[in-house]
Formats: sequence, C-alpha cells, structure tokens
Amino acid sequence: MKVKSEQFREVAIEELKTRHTRSHLDVIGLFISEMRRASMGTFPDPSAALELGRAIRAESIERLPELLEEFERNATANGAVVHWARDADEANALILRIAQERNVRLVTKGKSMVTEETGLNDVLIENGLEVFETDLGEFIIQLLGRPPFHIQGPALNIPVQEICDLFMEKGIMNEPTLDPVELGHAARVFLRNKFHHVDMAITGVNFAVAQTGTIINVENEGNIRLTKSSPRTQVSVMTLEKVVPTMQDAMHMLRLLCRNCTGQKIASYVSMDSGPNKGREVDGPRELFIVILDNGRSSFYRDPEVREILRCIRCGVCMLECPVYGKIGGYPYGWAYSGPMGQVLNPLMLGLERTQDLYRACTFCGGCKTACPAGIDHPQKFLYYRAKDVEGDPRYKGKRRPWTESSFMGIFTWVTKRRWRWNLGIKAARPFLNRHVEQGFIRGMKGPVEGWFKSRDFPAMAEKTFHDRMQERGSRESGEPSRS
Amino acid sequence: MSKKAKDEILDKLKAAPQTDVPPRPTVPPLNELAWNREERIEKLAENLTLLGCAVHRARDAEETVNKMTEIARAEGLTKIIASEDDVVATLNLAEWGKSNNIEVFTPRDGHDREAFKRIVFEEVQAGVTGVDFAVAESGTLCLIHDERQPRLVSLAPIRHIAIVPVERIHPIYESVTDTLFENREKAPSHITFISGPSMTADIQGSLFKGMHGPKTVTVILVEQTAT
Repeated sequence: MKVKSEQFREVAIEELKTRHTRSHLDVIGLFISEMRRASMGTFPDPSAALELGRAIRAESIERLPELLEEFERNATANGAVVHWARDADEANALILRIAQERNVRLVTKGKSMVTEETGLNDVLIENGLEVFETDLGEFIIQLLGRPPFHIQGPALNIPVQEICDLFMEKGIMNEPTLDPVELGHAARVFLRNKFHHVDMAITGVNFAVAQTGTIINVENEGNIRLTKSSPRTQVSVMTLEKVVPTMQDAMHMLRLLCRNCTGQKIASYVSMDSGPNKGREVDGPRELFIVILDNGRSSFYRDPEVREILRCIRCGVCMLECPVYGKIGGYPYGWAYSGPMGQVLNPLMLGLERTQDLYRACTFCGGCKTACPAGIDHPQKFLYYRAKDVEGDPRYKGKRRPWTESSFMGIFTWVTKRRWRWNLGIKAARPFLNRHVEQGFIRGMKGPVEGWFKSRDFPAMAEKTFHDRMQERGSRESGEPSRS
Repeated sequence: MSKKAKDEILDKLKAAPQTDVPPRPTVPPLNELAWNREERIEKLAENLTLLGCAVHRARDAEETVNKMTEIARAEGLTKIIASEDDVVATLNLAEWGKSNNIEVFTPRDGHDREAFKRIVFEEVQAGVTGVDFAVAESGTLCLIHDERQPRLVSLAPIRHIAIVPVERIHPIYESVTDTLFENREKAPSHITFISGPSMTADIQGSLFKGMHGPKTVTVILVEQTAT
C-alpha cells in the first residue's frame, strides 16, 4: 500500500467537502456509542473492567519477549510452524514461498490490518496468484484500490451507486441494484465460489495466547472461518504485540474488544486455532503457519516512553471518540491505520518527518485516551513526538525546525528568563503589534505568524499592562511609590 | 533466515530497559456467575433471541425431532447435512429423513475434502449440529471441531440448526475455556464461538444477515438428551 500521510492537509480539505463522508461519520458514531454504553453496562463495574483490560495489555507488553517465546513454544508443540520476519519484505517473501512451494493459485484473505501494512496482496498478485479480500468492506476497497476508511468499516463511506457501478464493471453481478442487501448478496455469491476452491488461507490474528499457543480471530461475516476451514494450508500473520499471557486474559480482552469496536457483547464468530487439524478431519488446515512480524516495532520498544502504543488491540474506539477523525474520516491519514491509533503508530513506523500533520491534528480533548481499553495515552504521545521532531531526534527521523524558528525561540527564552528583559520586551512589542489593529482587533499579520491568524484573531493591546495600572493605582491610593 | 530473524528480534526486545509490570486491579466477579440453572437457560434464550436466532424448546429427543420436522416443513428443506457429534447421534436423523422425505448427508458421505465441500457448498439447505457448550452471558454456542464435527457444517449452508442440551449451558466464557485448556496437550485444535447469524454492515452501515455464513440460526434447547 502506498503511504500518503504527507498529503494529510490536502486530503482532509477535500474530505470535509464530501457529503457522504460527513453523514456516515455522524450517524455511525452516535449509534455505536449508544450500543457501547449498553454493552459495557453488563460488567458489574465497567470502569474496573476497563482498568483490568489496561493492566493485561500493559503486562503483555512489559513481558513481551518472554511471552513471545512461550507462545512460540506452545504453538509449535500444538503442531503449528512459527516463522519470524524482521520487516514487510521478509514476511511477504516468506508467505510467497509457502504459496509457491504448494503450487497455490487461489488465496482468500480474512481482513488483517497487518497485511495492509506490509502490502502483501501486491506481492502475491505480481507473482501470478489470485488473491481475494473476503471481508465485504475490504473486498470493495480492494476492487477500488483505495485505503481503508476505518479499520472496521473500510468501505463504509462508499456510496451504493459507486459500489453498483464497480460490481457491474468487474462482473460481480449482472443486474444493477442500489439495495445494500442485494449488493452484499452479489458479493456472497461471487466469493462463495472462491471459498469453495481456495488453495491457501491468509488471516490476521486478534489475540495470540502465550499459555496455550492459540491464535484467536474475531469477526461477524464468517469470511475468516470460511477462509480457515476450506483449504489445506493456513497462514496467519501477527505483529509481535498481539500476544496476551493467558486464555483468561484473552477472554476478558475479547469482551472489551467487541464492546468497544461495534458495541456488541461478542462478535458473531470467534475461532481459536491451537495448531492445524489432527489429520482425520474432512476440513480445516492440514498445516498452520504463524508469521510473527516485527517491522520496526522492536526498535521503538526500546523507548519506554512510546512502548505503550503496542498495547493497542485495534478496537477503533479512539476513532469514534475523536472530533478530528469524526469530521475528516480515514483517508487523510494516508495509510492502513487512521484516527488516534494511527496518529500514534504511523509516525513511529514512517518517521516523524513524513507524518508532520498526524501528531499535530489533535485538539487534546483526551477522548481517545479516556475510552481506550488498552490504556494508551495518545495525546501525551503527540506532545512527545512534537518535542522529538523539534529537536530533530534521528531515531525517530525528526525534521528539526528551521534556523529562523530556533533562533527566535532562543531569543524568546533568553528574554523571558529575566523580569526586566520581559518587561522591556512587552513595552517594545505593544506598539509594534498595535500597528495591525482594525476595529479593536488584530486580524492578520504578514510573516511567519500569518498562519496563526487564519482562523483566529487577537484583541488590540491595551496601552498599559495590568501590572502598570495596578502600580499607578497603588501609588495614587497610598501616595507611596509601590514596590515593583 | 527465520532462525536469525527470531534471535535478532528477541535480542532487541530483551535489550530494552525493563519497567515494572503494573499490578492488576481486583474486579468484582461477573454478575452472570450468580445465575442458577433456570436463569442460565432463560438468559441464553433471551440473548439468542436478541441476536436474531429462532429459539425452540423440547423436552427430549423425540420432541426435538418433531421440532425439526416442523422447521423442515416451514422452510421447505429437502437436503440437509448433519454432524455426527454426540448430541446429533442421539436423534437418529437418518431414519427421520427417510420418513420425512429429506435427504440427510453426514460428513462421511463426503469421502474426501473435495466431495465434502461440494455437499456443504452446493447441495444442502441446512447444517445440523449439536453443541459442546453454550454460554449464557452472550447467547454463544461453542463447538469443538473434530472428525465428527467438521467446521463447515455450521458455516457453509445458509441455515444452521443447533441442538443445545440445557445441561451444557454455562454462565461465562471462562467456565468453558478453563476446562478446555486446563491441559494444553489435550486442548482441541479448533474451537468456534457462534453468536447469531453471519452479518455485516459494511455497505453504508446497513445491517444484513447471511453475509458469508448462515442467514438463520435456529436453536432447539433440549431438556433431556438420551444417554
């Protein structure tokens, strides 16, 4: 997938004009929030349940190397084959090799954000394989060649007319229709044939249980179950942070994931693989490969300040809570991950220089942090990234500010460190600022601060400061010169 | 390649500064644990209904089969596949099929994977399974998959009919997983939690059922199963 995070501003402006984007964001947010509140209410103490989820994810990440080793040991004992991949290329090559060694022609995929991250589909298709995304939303955006609009509803914003035209053009159906149910049915019929004849399954992983070596998938459509049940070979790709310590932990996280994702108590299907089938079954995979992908995560794991972003379980509640995402939708973020979870993850994966707008497009309302069942403090990360970017930290590919800005800040700091310099500075600045006053307000200025006035103005400076006036009043009333 | 990648990744993770593992807060036990047998049955039925499942009650195997006849007539079923799990085995569906003019396939009729897949994908109008557990907290059916309980029987046909002996109803997921994973070596290779029909809201947020899996899930709660 092509990364387009640099175009955040341009795409956001376009998306704000799109009626379809706006109306869906407004309705979905309200609907799911209500469902979420109701489903969280089944816990005797919802906030304690949230805290437990946060503690489980915090522990999972702090104990990461040990848990990954335990998971690999148990998954291998269950009969799965575990592979490790340092980056996207290594993972893609590995999966391609598994497919080629088995003469695989047709691959179906369960929705997985990680293979969006690695661009696996392109690699397989370039090498002559037929690859179908099978989650309805992913299927549509695969045909359109667009990034996901939302991590759970990748095509939520696409108008039915566009889907109809697309399905007609690609031969998915023969009669045009604008009924979403009929469109879904056409996709069912088309993909059913693929599920029937598929040679190899590729899925993501929601949770990997260290204690039992089990991988867990959560879904509503049944496409992941069909993908995993029909062919002889299954490849499941997980980023290394998917691991949780125990099956009990996984069950608690499952409750939180479903409630925060769609407001359901549980999704329609939860399927758990502890190794491949035992050999006597008539379906299910004869061989199960689990690919554990790093792709830069172990590098930022070193920094305890940012490590916590690995706790994310991809529920998407941060997007629902975010007033910025709520207006612009998923496209401006320009990659697989959007909303606050993308804003904390993408800058680390892609570098701070390329993702400037991501960690600045925030109102600091804290909605994401308050709702997050994994305990991530998104706004605090944005401040950290801004600081690293200003310093030009090479580890995070920070841009560093231009010399004009840093020398201005240097002078400003010097001025503010002594009272007399500050007072002198204030006196000097006032007439300068007031030159721009129109009808009592400064509405714009040329130069580096021009942008600040785009959506703001500033009242004219009073002739005297508050301190000056208090001093004058003090000396008038007591007849004594006041201390300054 | 893989071996080296593993060492490199783990070495980097292990070299990172250690921080304390935060303590776990104590949480009150889930409300569902206080439910008695009758409440568990009621809550399961209630949650199944909320998920859009049709729920029937039957006293014993005979009533269960009669219910199946009613369902088959109402839906116009002529070809079904039934698992060979211990619940379905008590119903003698082969005999039932003969007297009701319904062709009843079993997984064994598919001699191999391809023949089996042709039956579940192309032939039958419903899949009938027992369940190993049911979980009252969310209306969840739990199936352990093995040679008697293939995965596609409850998934590929457009209708799923599930027979649930009430003594298999548990309050919460952990009451099931604690037993199943008590000994890792004996844990089943594949477990499915089914909660309602297959569905999606991916086009314009319009909810519709039967996306890739069954459109309807019909549950028969059985008071007494033959032993």
